[in-house]
Amino acid sequence: MGFWVTTLIFLLAGVVGSLFSLLCCNRGPSTNLFHLTLVITATVCCWMMWAIVYLAQLKPLINPILSGE
Amino acid sequence: MSRGGGGGGGCCPSMDLMRSEAMQLVQVIIPAESAHLAVSYLGDLGLLQFKDLNVDKSPFQRTYAAQIKRCGEMARKLRFFKEQMSKASISATSTQFSGSSLEIDDLEVKLGELEVELTEVNANNEKLQRTYNELVEYNVVLQKLNEVQQNNRGKCQQISLAILLWREMVTDPSKQVKLGSLSGLVPKEKAMAFERILFRATRGNMFLRQEPVDEAVTDPQSGEKASKNAFVIFYSGERAKSKIVKICDAFGANRYPFPDDLGKQLQTIQEVSGKISELKATIEIGLAHRDSILKSISSEFEQWNTLVKKEKAIYHTLNMLSLDVTKKCLVAEGWSPVFATSQIQDALQRATVDSKSQVGSIFQVLNTQEPPPTFFQTNKFSSAFQEIVDAYGIAKYQEANPGVFTIVTFPFLFAVMFGDWGHGICILLATLYLIIREKKLASQKLDDIMDMMFGGRYVILMMSLFSIYTGLIYNEFFSVPFELFGKSAYACRDPSCGDATTEGLIKVRPTYPFGVDPVWHGSRSELPFLNSLKMKLSILLGVAQMNLGIVMSYFNARFFRNALNFIPQLIFLNSLFGYLSLLIIIKWCTGSKADLYHVMIYMFLSPTDDLGENQLFPGQKLVQLVLLLLALVSVPWMLIPKPLLLKKQHEQRHQGQQYTMLQATDESVTELEEHHADSHDHEEFEFSEVFVHQLIHTIEFVLGAVSNTASYLRLWALSLAHSELSSVFYEKVLVLSWGYNNIVILIIGAIIFLFATIGVLLVMETLSAFLHALRLHWVEFQNKFYEGDGYKFAPFAFASIIEEED
Repeated sequence: MGFWVTTLIFLLAGVVGSLFSLLCCNRGPSTNLFHLTLVITATVCCWMMWAIVYLAQLKPLINPILSGE
Repeated sequence: MSRGGGGGGGCCPSMDLMRSEAMQLVQVIIPAESAHLAVSYLGDLGLLQFKDLNVDKSPFQRTYAAQIKRCGEMARKLRFFKEQMSKASISATSTQFSGSSLEIDDLEVKLGELEVELTEVNANNEKLQRTYNELVEYNVVLQKLNEVQQNNRGKCQQISLAILLWREMVTDPSKQVKLGSLSGLVPKEKAMAFERILFRATRGNMFLRQEPVDEAVTDPQSGEKASKNAFVIFYSGERAKSKIVKICDAFGANRYPFPDDLGKQLQTIQEVSGKISELKATIEIGLAHRDSILKSISSEFEQWNTLVKKEKAIYHTLNMLSLDVTKKCLVAEGWSPVFATSQIQDALQRATVDSKSQVGSIFQVLNTQEPPPTFFQTNKFSSAFQEIVDAYGIAKYQEANPGVFTIVTFPFLFAVMFGDWGHGICILLATLYLIIREKKLASQKLDDIMDMMFGGRYVILMMSLFSIYTGLIYNEFFSVPFELFGKSAYACRDPSCGDATTEGLIKVRPTYPFGVDPVWHGSRSELPFLNSLKMKLSILLGVAQMNLGIVMSYFNARFFRNALNFIPQLIFLNSLFGYLSLLIIIKWCTGSKADLYHVMIYMFLSPTDDLGENQLFPGQKLVQLVLLLLALVSVPWMLIPKPLLLKKQHEQRHQGQQYTMLQATDESVTELEEHHADSHDHEEFEFSEVFVHQLIHTIEFVLGAVSNTASYLRLWALSLAHSELSSVFYEKVLVLSWGYNNIVILIIGAIIFLFATIGVLLVMETLSAFLHALRLHWVEFQNKFYEGDGYKFAPFAFASIIEEED
């Protein structure tokens, strides 16, 4: 689906997650910032993992050689 | 207020859990009559950590030592009750707190009464029980011997008795001989020895008849069941009798009178049976009485227990307060969070009102340079993560708390090492069970392992959720890949697929959209590809986390107005390993065949050489030279400015202050100031010491940059181990047993697979990945910014006291 499209999807998911945490557990500015940090950290971690695995398969130097069983 | 270093960060908006709550040293002066109530209310509140103002006094010299002894006595009585209750198998019911709050004095009296009553009842019961056992034994003897006599009322016995009589008459014809008899029970093990010794002692002039008793009888002395033999001895003469009696006592054989006459025997049997049933009824009544006492205790036991513990805690605390000179009021000092000020004042006010005291308590904040305890307000979710961080070291007062990011990065790194969404689902189910039965399990007493798992249930929940995510990315479901997100990107070169096993497949469609392509699993070039992928993944994640650590040190530096040492650190780390990460990404994006090892090593060895086919982007040589220079410059930048800055700060602070403070000479109020004057200003500033300190830090950082980055490769190693183990179990157990087409072998294979998966993968691998993720956090992440030499806020709170003593 393309690198940038999926990155955009992750970004949107992060935004949705943040809004959700603000809406459902609104408990003062410092707590909100804390929840926001957690959501953003989680989104960034998940995106990094996906992006690294995706980029590694973009222009591979090795091909899968079947084992023939 | 006391703060460290100099400042309050106005840099960034405040965030929960990022820094310790602001703490203040408070002094409370309480009039003596409301002291007990005040401490009790403060204990309910649980937000004040009392300082011990009577450190030099021994426990016996303290004011309230007598009260503590009283509480100790009451606690002992309660323990006695608990023991009795558990012996009678009555459990203390956790009742609702009934409105009747007992005074501690009344409770003491009541406990004393109950103890006396209970001891008495127990003693009586014991006596009755012993008598009962004796009677039962007597009954057994009577019946057995009666039976024996009935059976063998034969010539045998009469002849032996006649022989005995004749012998006696022969030895001493003048005496009037009459045969005496003794009967009783002797333990079976000792029966043979008993017989032998009797024979020897009486020189054979006795007749012993033993008969084993079938079921075991309870011995009245020891109270235990033992298998015994019933015996009857016929003897003649007083001396023989005394010898036999002594021997019986030595062997623990209980003697019971056995009448010769048959009629009398039957009568005695009747009597004894009657007495037994009577006694049994009496014993039952006694036991019922005791049970009723214990039941009445059990319904209030928890309450009393709590009350006594509270009282003891209150008196311990009162002992920590110092008595004012006039002996009319107590002075307390302690740490409390700033936000709790109004609550504490409120509690003190209530205590004044409730104790009908004329004078109110005084609450004031003291200024001090002592380091305050660290207090994080956590809820049930974040407390487990905070404990993980605290296990390494409690945060210094108001330094940045790694716990904030640990909540996400710790489960994430665990998941990178664990990645399998099948296993993730198993762990998720297990932890959901713990979370759903949270309330019920929290009130139970769990054993150590279950307790740890229950305490960490939210950590395990996060770990399982991230594991499912990374499992989907690694495309492993119990090591089996699935085409969940579209078709694989690879296909054969030509329709016949002739060279699939020699040359391999080629990429015909766009990259597999989410995760590792399913075609890789089981192929021959799987390991080279995945190893390369996972190693580079580890480096990238590692560099990212270390950069986060350095950014946290920036937050600390800004907050405490320290030297900004984070800039040279960032430059050094990124010019080497940040550059490496960049090269990795460029190589992936361009598909170049450059050898990154070669590039990095020759960047140092011969930076001016031409790169040739290792060139990844134009101008690379120049960029590498610049980065190398930046790295070289940043090392002295890390080393030199900070000590110089500290020296300048110190000189600024102590300009003109050449003399130390004079000690105040009058008592009471200034006595207290002395406490604070010790840990005070005039520290020595040794430039050489600070310089060496900074040198060590610099060397640690520079060398650590390489070793820490390499340490992150454990993410690759454990992930490889997990997927290989999982694949072996799947292929060599499950698939193999499926191949036999036999239902029995299949079932056996499935069971082995189940146990292997649970034992090795779900338990051992989880612990292993947990441990390594922990190490990565404690060492590689936290050594960039964390000092961790604070102490934890331990308030006087009844909730924690009652919990800890159980």
